Amino acid sequence: MSALGILRRPTVPAPPMARPAWAAVLRRPAAQVGLALAAVLALAALLGPLLAADPDLPDYTNQLAAPSWAHWLGTDQAGRDLLARTLAGARTSLGAALLVMAIAGVVGLLVGTLAGAVGGIVDTVLTRATDVLLGLPSLVLTLAVVGVLGPGFWNLVLAMAATSWAGLARLARSLARGSAQRPDVLAARMSGVGPVRAVLGHVVPGVASQVVVAATLGLGEAVLALGGLSFLGLGAQPPTAEWGTMLATGRETFAHAPWQLLGPGLGLVLSVAAATLISDALRDVTDPGRQS
Amino acid sequence: MTTVLRRVGQALVTLLGTGLIVFGMLAVTPGDPAHRVLEARGIPEPSPAAVAAVRDELRLDDPLVVRFGRWAGDAVTGDLGVSWRTGRPVADEFVTRLPATLRLTGAAMALAVVLALGLAAVAAAAPGRWPDVVARGVALAMLVVPGFVLGVIVLDVLVVRAGLGRVIADGSWATVFLPALTLALASAASWSRVLRTSLLEAASAPYLRVSVARGAGRRRLLGVHQLPNAAPAFLTMVGLGAAALIGGAPIVESVFTWPGIGRYTVEAINARDMPVVVGFTLVAVVGYVLTSLVVDLVCAALDPRLRTGRAAA
Repeated sequence: MSALGILRRPTVPAPPMARPAWAAVLRRPAAQVGLALAAVLALAALLGPLLAADPDLPDYTNQLAAPSWAHWLGTDQAGRDLLARTLAGARTSLGAALLVMAIAGVVGLLVGTLAGAVGGIVDTVLTRATDVLLGLPSLVLTLAVVGVLGPGFWNLVLAMAATSWAGLARLARSLARGSAQRPDVLAARMSGVGPVRAVLGHVVPGVASQVVVAATLGLGEAVLALGGLSFLGLGAQPPTAEWGTMLATGRETFAHAPWQLLGPGLGLVLSVAAATLISDALRDVTDPGRQS
Repeated sequence: MTTVLRRVGQALVTLLGTGLIVFGMLAVTPGDPAHRVLEARGIPEPSPAAVAAVRDELRLDDPLVVRFGRWAGDAVTGDLGVSWRTGRPVADEFVTRLPATLRLTGAAMALAVVLALGLAAVAAAAPGRWPDVVARGVALAMLVVPGFVLGVIVLDVLVVRAGLGRVIADGSWATVFLPALTLALASAASWSRVLRTSLLEAASAPYLRVSVARGAGRRRLLGVHQLPNAAPAFLTMVGLGAAALIGGAPIVESVFTWPGIGRYTVEAINARDMPVVVGFTLVAVVGYVLTSLVVDLVCAALDPRLRTGRAAA
């Protein structure tokens, strides 16, 4: 197999994720803490809104109330329960990040696999375009796309996705490179499978699993960027419960009611911490030179 | 020399690509620019003749290629077009605000480098011992707390409650410290984590054992061998990290009401003032491309391996 000299993949950063690697990742305390945090956040986003009060129900007799047994995280300036809003915000903020990385993952997978598997002029053009995108500050580019589309939740998600796929495309390309000559793909082609189906059946699954891992690790950064841009008023608009928007509205009355920062602030911090801890553990395992 | 030329060529390609992307954005933005300019000049429902006159004045009816050529030529000579909101030249609006942004990002960069070097040196001096654990914990905390959350807390606790610093930042050196620190923390944290790793990598090199055998102290090892060897990688990271500082500036400027181009651009986005948004994108990208160009050239000058390596490849 290796005599064909076509399994050479010098740019691949990590070996394919085999079972032992995952076991090694799971043994690391950082990964355990990170995964536990991620599980708590996912549960909060999925089940929280079902258990908590109505996040949009105003109570003008009870504005800016301090945390109490009735309102664990207090209330905001319209008397809405902040725990309920934080949980609803988890659904919005984490859902938006998931959506961004899902779109970016699909686009990156398609562009990267196309470039890597077809090669030639297609590869050159796509790679140049990806390199230009990667060479630009992504937050600046996101701001520009939001400028074109206008502020709003869906526009921000689209803008973020449009500027996050390039790294994933580069990864996908490095994995799919030269795959047209790979023995399994050649065998499929010789048995009469068309080129598109051969790539879809033999190249895409392997590439996709790694792109999914990389996109998942990008979730923390996506939550952070979405929160920051929503905080600026460029994402979800005020009545919507979203962490960045909640922080922006809470800020106006922050001096009297500092507890307003607790829920959304903690949500953001824990999300980023989960992603950072998991990717730290993963990198320690896949990059032995980094271990200490 | 070829390294320099290649790298400059690469930077030019990036700038051209940015120009294409950004001009494309300007072209696809819905709405007639002539209408927007007239509205900005106080004419809410202009007559068709007035619109036609402005279209003629802005030469919007030329083919796209011609418009791109003219737009790019203007941009190179520093003319970023006319704001749709104020009707004033975008370049004029930027010139008054750019010094504040440069001060903020420059100070943040310097702070981030100092903090990263300090944290990494402490951590790498005694890997696995308590200073390392503390430094890594601090770096992790700096990394996971978003700048705008921290900015809001800092502003309330330190400035409003404790009376340190001024509430309204005027963009001067006197008020730059808190916003710059807020902007710098995340970058400092991620740089220090990578730098710690490369310091430890440098520490495992054979020549260090020779140095130890000759009686060199830990401080000498760190200062003379590990840091210089880790320098090119660190500098490269600082160059790439400039993107985070430039992109984070609009957020921090908005939190601290810093009178820079970032905050101005956020206002422009809300007003759908595309020439300003496009102008900011161009200025930010030029700033970033120049920073990474300088960093790469400095690295090539410092590390002969980079020069020969690239020429061979």
